[in-house]
Amino acid sequence: MKRRNSRFFPSLLLVLSLLAAACNSTPANQSQEQTSTPQETAQTPAQTNTLSTPADTLIVAINADQGTLDPAVTFDNGAWKITYYAYERLVEYDGASTEVKPGLAKEWKVSEDGLTWTFTLEEGHKFADGTPVTAEAVKFTFERTLKIKKGPSDVYSVIKEVRVDSPNTVSFVLSQNFPPFLSTLAANYGSIVNPKVMEHEVDGDLGQSYLAEHTMGSGPYQLDEWRKGEYIKLTTNPHSSIKPSIQTVYFRIVPDATSQRLQLEQGEIDIAEGIPREQLKAVKELPNVEVLQYPSLSVDYVYVNSSKGHPALQNPKVRQALSYAIDYTALAEAVQEGYATQMRGPIPKGLWGHDETAFQYSRDVEKAKALLAEAGVSDLKINLLYSDNKAWWETEALALQSFFAEIGVTLELKKVAYATSREMMDAGQFDLALGVWSPDFGDPYMFMNYWFDSNNFGLAGNRAFYKNDKVDELVRKAAQINDQAEREKLYREAQKIVIEEAPYLYLYQMDFILPISKSVKGFVYNPMLEGIYNLAEMSK
Amino acid sequence: MRQIIVKRLAMLVLVLFGVTLTTFLLTHVIPGDPARMMVGQRASEETLQEVRRQLGLDQPVWVQYFAYMGGLVKGDFGNSIRTQQPVIDDLVKFFPATLELALAAFFIALVIGIPLGILAAVKKDTGWDHTSRFFSIAGISTPVFWSGLVGILVFYKILGLLPSSGRIDLTVPPPDTITGLYLLDSLLTGNWTAFANSLWHLILPACTLAFAQLATVTRQVRASMLEVLSQDYIRTALANGIHGPVLLFRYALRNALIPTITVVGLSFGSLLGGAVVTETIFSWPGMGKYVVDSIAFLDFPAIMGFTFLISLGYVLINLIVDLTYYALDPQIKE
Repeated sequence: MKRRNSRFFPSLLLVLSLLAAACNSTPANQSQEQTSTPQETAQTPAQTNTLSTPADTLIVAINADQGTLDPAVTFDNGAWKITYYAYERLVEYDGASTEVKPGLAKEWKVSEDGLTWTFTLEEGHKFADGTPVTAEAVKFTFERTLKIKKGPSDVYSVIKEVRVDSPNTVSFVLSQNFPPFLSTLAANYGSIVNPKVMEHEVDGDLGQSYLAEHTMGSGPYQLDEWRKGEYIKLTTNPHSSIKPSIQTVYFRIVPDATSQRLQLEQGEIDIAEGIPREQLKAVKELPNVEVLQYPSLSVDYVYVNSSKGHPALQNPKVRQALSYAIDYTALAEAVQEGYATQMRGPIPKGLWGHDETAFQYSRDVEKAKALLAEAGVSDLKINLLYSDNKAWWETEALALQSFFAEIGVTLELKKVAYATSREMMDAGQFDLALGVWSPDFGDPYMFMNYWFDSNNFGLAGNRAFYKNDKVDELVRKAAQINDQAEREKLYREAQKIVIEEAPYLYLYQMDFILPISKSVKGFVYNPMLEGIYNLAEMSK
Repeated sequence: MRQIIVKRLAMLVLVLFGVTLTTFLLTHVIPGDPARMMVGQRASEETLQEVRRQLGLDQPVWVQYFAYMGGLVKGDFGNSIRTQQPVIDDLVKFFPATLELALAAFFIALVIGIPLGILAAVKKDTGWDHTSRFFSIAGISTPVFWSGLVGILVFYKILGLLPSSGRIDLTVPPPDTITGLYLLDSLLTGNWTAFANSLWHLILPACTLAFAQLATVTRQVRASMLEVLSQDYIRTALANGIHGPVLLFRYALRNALIPTITVVGLSFGSLLGGAVVTETIFSWPGMGKYVVDSIAFLDFPAIMGFTFLISLGYVLINLIVDLTYYALDPQIKE
């Protein structure tokens, strides 16, 4: 009896190892046999995976279901991708640039003192239910956002009054001069909502529970169906003057990265959002897939506590030394698999105001050591504060530790809980700290004023606790005048100073990666609209 | 009998009370602020406090607890912070999917596990026994994310037989909702397209989940059968000329099933908790994924609602298990 049994184990082991081998083989070998048949019938479920999706339907795989879709409530970029094209805004981002072009408003002007912005609406825009878009709707939208008092209301806290001058002219009276105001109107929070939403009001919620799951906008698309946990479906808005090529969009929820990859490979989906960087190499080899890569406006940087931390850090030479100690390319490679672009100054590439000619630090160990000697500093011991808010921070902290060790600086790693790290940062209880930043609207104000104005010490933005009177003067002036060219000049000058003084270590901008089927055309990446697809202009 | 049920239901209330209190305190002690999650990193302090006020988070913990319990006894689980919808609505949407998956996996595990266990017991120490043991150990040791992905690789990618995600195709409308279980609903409404399609989608995730449960069932049945088969009354039956299927099923199995039911009941309870990994891999819109998303968002009402529901489920399952004991063996008394 025993002899017979002993053959079972080897054969079973063999089967298992074959399975394991099948796991590891590159997908490219197996994909050739699949034929493409249109995805029509449901009676033959086996055919669902041998197909290319129809030309008027776009299927995007997303990682997780969305929370609320109400533009006055959601601060989640994820929700934007669903709502952005269901609504229209007064102005819109222009193609791939972060500058704005006319949207619902065909023209606008701002008063001398910068306090009154007047917009003239273009005729012919209608909400999805046929109601025309009027100045009343604009007034209603912004008043609603301010009344609801959630995240987006902060962005518009500068609005004192919204006034209807005529059925198609609306004016915003601000409480102070705020040139970036125009840019805030192009963001998702500026989406114009159909006043008829009040018919769906429940318990005085101003329609929040209705708009959490529906759209009421004038954009080329509208929310057609939302099967929670499964997919969100958009169809076209019959009253929009834009007639897109893509009639139906499914945002399919596929939480598992490997499933997304397999589905992209099989042609069951057109765009896969959730594939992590480690798997991208394999995805790049797929014959029917293209991996797009662009620098995004999300930056990863280090705050150097320039006034409340270790006294040595008050000397710009020491901060410069730290800047010279870092091997930026190796860092990007180690932490982001190379999918990152080194920062050149605080204003990231892709945002207007970015200076391609600005100085960029690179690794120079000798120079770093020399600078430390000049500053009279030796055996410097400083700490680095961070949390597990970002998965890659652990690697980044260790990399920085080893870079600084080479110039004789001991970096003590201090990892704490996220909530604790925020408290400590606000109080300035650190020497160095890791951070990420991305802009709420497409204006260099989001970087220059937040990071460098000495009025913004702490979590508000100036997390380096940096104070320079000249920089203060420059950025505050740039926040006051409405001439973009002038502002750019001022920001450029300020940038030169802050690069030299290095209150932050400008590490890298994360790259935006998108695996997309080669059959999809017309996608234009806008850095302010990361993860949002210009559906109306795309086709297959 | 009735007395026992009443007693158990009274205990149910106590258990639920204890669970809600513990969960509530735990979720409020964890650092993190759902209001902050809602308004974003750069919101002003004022807006943050306003949102906290709106959500009732500015009250002391015990006040919040009583407010919550007050709503709970009326059947109001509060609103999810993340989706802005009543938690009860969210749970009702997601629970049937998990229930369907759990039931299917459970069914497969039983249908394969019990015969396999009996076979292993009867053919003890032969090739059958070793194979079933190997199979069981493989099932319990293999991580679900591995077996699930391998399943997708083989059946979706290589063989092209089964779909890789979801409960039903995008283009197929689901059956009208009666129970929320697609298979049952499509049968009840005579919707064969939906039935076939949902069945196709259910097979792979259910088998993946069942594979892990199989081990428990098989081993337990085998052990119990062996014990029962060595009893004196079995020997007596054999001596009286009873053997084969009659002996196995009428005499031995009923007794062997008692410990099995306990074990299986507990494991079904944990299945109900929403096999998160399986649901994630197969994009199955169930409660497991829902609660993980809620935890990441620190969505207290959703977390509480889920915990409450699962605790309720567990206690009820235990009650059913105990009642089944009586059906199997009237000798068992409280």
